[in-house]
Amino acid sequence: MTDFIQLIIAGLATGAIYALAAVGFTLLWQTSQTINFAQGEFVMLPAFFCLAGIKFFGLPFPIAALVAILLSMLVLGVIFKFAVVDPLMKQGTLPLVISTIGLAILLREGVKETYSAEAQRFPSFFPNVNLGTAGFNVSADQVGVLIVATGTILLLAWFLASTKTGRQMQATAQNPTVARILGVNVERMVLYTFLINGALAAMASLLISPIYLAKFSSGETLGLVAFVAAIVGGFNQVRGAIVGGFLVGIIDNLVAAYVSSTYRQAVPLALLVLIILLRPQGLLGRAEERAV
Amino acid sequence: MTTSTDAILSLNDVFAGYGKMTILNGTTAHIRKGKITTVIGPNGAGKSTLFKTVFGLLAVRTGKIHFDGRDTSNWSPRQMLDAGMCYVPQGRNIFPELSVRHNLELGGVALADQSGLGDRIEQMMQRFPMLREKAGAQASTLSGGQQKLLEVARGLLLQPKLMLIDEPSIGLSPLMVQEVFAILKDLRDNGVTILLIEQNAKMALQMSDYGLVLEQGQTRIEDTAANILADPRIAELFLGGGLKPAAATAS
Repeated sequence: MTDFIQLIIAGLATGAIYALAAVGFTLLWQTSQTINFAQGEFVMLPAFFCLAGIKFFGLPFPIAALVAILLSMLVLGVIFKFAVVDPLMKQGTLPLVISTIGLAILLREGVKETYSAEAQRFPSFFPNVNLGTAGFNVSADQVGVLIVATGTILLLAWFLASTKTGRQMQATAQNPTVARILGVNVERMVLYTFLINGALAAMASLLISPIYLAKFSSGETLGLVAFVAAIVGGFNQVRGAIVGGFLVGIIDNLVAAYVSSTYRQAVPLALLVLIILLRPQGLLGRAEERAV
Repeated sequence: MTTSTDAILSLNDVFAGYGKMTILNGTTAHIRKGKITTVIGPNGAGKSTLFKTVFGLLAVRTGKIHFDGRDTSNWSPRQMLDAGMCYVPQGRNIFPELSVRHNLELGGVALADQSGLGDRIEQMMQRFPMLREKAGAQASTLSGGQQKLLEVARGLLLQPKLMLIDEPSIGLSPLMVQEVFAILKDLRDNGVTILLIEQNAKMALQMSDYGLVLEQGQTRIEDTAANILADPRIAELFLGGGLKPAAATAS
């Protein structure tokens, strides 16, 4: 039983990180119909911004982390939108999807060539101590990750639901034409979404890299997990992405412990197939009604 | 022919459309201030295109649009809102997952002085008590008629001079249609100009002051609603056929 609880806590911690990436993925889809297959690389890259800040500019870790978040908002938010999404969106959804796959390869190989092909140790914000008692291990790292990631998601949920700007973003996602008719600055709301996605990816990156190390190829798994979490929860619902993220995180950890860690990679895909067969709109999703 | 002096909205030889398709082929019309004008015409005549072009959602290729004394050709929707026009499009235009109150609040995005927003929402709830009852409910839980009322109330939040409303009766019960029409008449009596598109042309003209018959993107007839209702040529239009060629010269 203690094993089980430990596994659940570890699953919640990684699940919260997956949820960060999945929420960003869903937000981009909702407001701009961008299916970002580079989302995993978006989570890989900020850790290297941070490492580069420490290594080449001698920044202390917390400052380097902050710079990484801001740089991610600029590069993965603003530049991604204006240099990749806006010009390609005119060509339709599919060319954009293919371009994001290309971008993923570019980011992956770029980090490999310019930084390192080796997995990098990454500093943690949290002390390496056991908060549990004898025979019951809960690391401060896990609890810290869970609190910071959940806090970030709650802050975002509060922003979307309780501020006028957040509700204008929701309006833009739910019906952009009507939002424009009411005077909402739709272009600005879409830009905010890209900024938020950049920040969420950076948060996920800074939280997951101490656990799984920072490696140029880590985006492959992360992207898959974010995609699956978003689909499982319901592609058109932010709260669906949150539920999906936690679910994938927990199942991931349980399977690795009780079945076999060899199947770890297969778990999200199996879950994806199951959900698409049984509940195609996702656990919390609604059937899509899109005006043409 | 209406003179432009009492017109709040005038179109002069307006061309507009989508891509290679030209829908408005030199539309000229004058919409009178403080009146209800119904636009009728067969499918594809350019009725909805007319609204989108006037409101700035579609570009004016050539020609001029004047609203409330200013040349508003190719103004943005935001500028049209600021100038005192609002647009309630066809179909469902609510934000389904936001509450009724927050849907209403979004009608005030363009308001320069946001401090007055609360009072205006309060006024709308006073006027439409249903909105107060349902204020906290998700907008998707409203009936079709209630959603249309919400859309109208949301448009009125900016206290517009002119409301463009496209097919408000679609999908509503006859009773609800009566209610929506009553609200439009009440707005007219309070000085708001209404420009309406209706599939149910006869019923709409019966409560309108003026009518505008559009065909192939051009104005065929512009007259009082009573005269249009009495016009024998219109019967053909109601049945889906076009006007007889002779009719075109009469306008």
